Amino acid sequence: PRSVSPAADPAVISPQDPTLLIGSSLVATCTVSPDFPLKAEDLYWTLNGRRLPAASYAALGPSTLSVALARLNGSRQQSGDNLVCHSRDGGILAGSCLYVGLPPEKPVNITCWSKNMKDLTCKWAPGTEGETFLHTNYTLKYKRRWYGQDNTCQEYHTAGTYSCHIPKDLALFTPYEIWVEASNRLGVAVSDVVMLDILDVVTTDPPSDVHVSRVGDLEDQLSVRWSSPPALKDFLFQAKYQIQYRVEDSSEWKVVDDVGNQTSCRLAGLRPGTVYFVQVRCNPFSIYGSKKAGIWSDWSNPTAASTPRSERVAGGCDPKVGEQNTTLRRELKQFFGWVKKHAYGCSNLGIKLYDQWRVWLQKSHKTRNQVGKEP
Amino acid sequence: SPTGDSWGIFTFLCAALCNLPALPALNCSEELGAGQSIQQTYDLTRYLEHQLRTLAGTYLNYLGPPFNEPDFNPPRLVRAEPRVPSATVDLDLWRGLTDNARLAANYRAYSRLLCYLRVLDGQVGTAELRHRLAHFCASLQGLVLSIGGVMSSLGYPLPAGPAAPPAGPPGAPAAPNDFLKKMDDFWLLKELQTWLWRSAKDFNRLKKKVPPAVVTLRLEARGF
Repeated sequence: PRSVSPAADPAVISPQDPTLLIGSSLVATCTVSPDFPLKAEDLYWTLNGRRLPAASYAALGPSTLSVALARLNGSRQQSGDNLVCHSRDGGILAGSCLYVGLPPEKPVNITCWSKNMKDLTCKWAPGTEGETFLHTNYTLKYKRRWYGQDNTCQEYHTAGTYSCHIPKDLALFTPYEIWVEASNRLGVAVSDVVMLDILDVVTTDPPSDVHVSRVGDLEDQLSVRWSSPPALKDFLFQAKYQIQYRVEDSSEWKVVDDVGNQTSCRLAGLRPGTVYFVQVRCNPFSIYGSKKAGIWSDWSNPTAASTPRSERVAGGCDPKVGEQNTTLRRELKQFFGWVKKHAYGCSNLGIKLYDQWRVWLQKSHKTRNQVGKEP
Repeated sequence: SPTGDSWGIFTFLCAALCNLPALPALNCSEELGAGQSIQQTYDLTRYLEHQLRTLAGTYLNYLGPPFNEPDFNPPRLVRAEPRVPSATVDLDLWRGLTDNARLAANYRAYSRLLCYLRVLDGQVGTAELRHRLAHFCASLQGLVLSIGGVMSSLGYPLPAGPAAPPAGPPGAPAAPNDFLKKMDDFWLLKELQTWLWRSAKDFNRLKKKVPPAVVTLRLEARGF
């Protein structure tokens, strides 16, 4: 049954909603309102639902009971610890929220990047401990060096919890000062100032239209083609690219670094009859002739292709080093060889088709790290 | 459950869409429209009830014990102006409500509750909680629109008052300290829960008076 109390508060707690440093002590008092027929001995305390020992109580007056709390731990929840004064039958007379924690530490590791020179996203890390037990507010501020006005970033959490996005009104060719302020009930901490020019931290979208294809019948080569990211086409910059590729069942990527600014490349020295995954990324360096490196884009989505394999007679075993040599595959190859010999017109059936099916299977299952898994 | 949520979202969208005047594909006449809308409003209250369980769980954990204890039942301090209209009402009174009065009570209650929830959204600590609250408020807004749609299709005027939240917090005095505010938040969630239970009964009663003539749409929603 819900009880409805009269308009006056039954009791008053002091201090009401205090903020305290971890490890500090507190004496709180509960004073019953004169309208209520309760005495100090009719009262008890709970903290976060747990009854506090009577040994820590003291009656300070006929209707005032105090409790002593020593060496407080950090608040159990950010909304504050619930210290409650009860009447003997368990009813709640009053409550006070205790905010116990630490002042914030200086935020660190501020890194920023600009997508296509249009905006700026920065992320940072909280100071060393991180856990202050109190709700901590982070504000990213920036200003053009030598121009007075501070600006505040508004769009938070765009790239993780500790990040902010500045969408517009950014000037190029001018240094910016950027810093992060952390504040909570116990104080404020300001990070070191980072200075940068937007042009130094430009990144772009990954290259588009990545195509990987065979080079005729060459067993150990694949040709990779892609397009330069369209967003930067109006800006004077030189892109440089990087390619990485790996064999289907491996998680070890090989990187091709000296691609320069062409939009095609031939991979050589590959294993015949093997499925490869290929990715490309772009670095818009030397924007407006600055000679500075930009920030690498994300890798493009993986594109798959397989190197050709010359036809073998049925029953031939496979001496190639590192060839995937599971029982199933061996039997399949033998079967396909036999089919070719004995069933004219089935020339499309072969281990090539099996390879393509494997590629499709990998793409749809994304079982990149499961080496040697049987489909 | 994910499938339950898909169904719920689909129903919610249908409810919102059905309140658009020009929807030729559905070919609604006045009464046919009301029948569908009542069913969809009913479905929405059930979906919100389900959503509220998760939201309340998260929020009460944020408030901390004893607020998240199952048997928590604090005194309800009476204020000068009742904070939210109470869902509990005398049974005979409830039975005797006209359709208009029944719908108007629901409309007013949820408009008010939505205002208070939006204020909560601005104050609350964690990002997860803000996200859940925002989602819930969007669904609740859909419910208010849905009820308004039912009233319009039955020819009843919408109750005056804040369907949209006023600039600042509504008329009720803010809690004088943080602990009392936690108690207010607790009771807000409880009242929301009680209203959703009551609305299900309200719309069930209304359903019997205005049966849904177009059954196929409802079946399609279930098969989704």
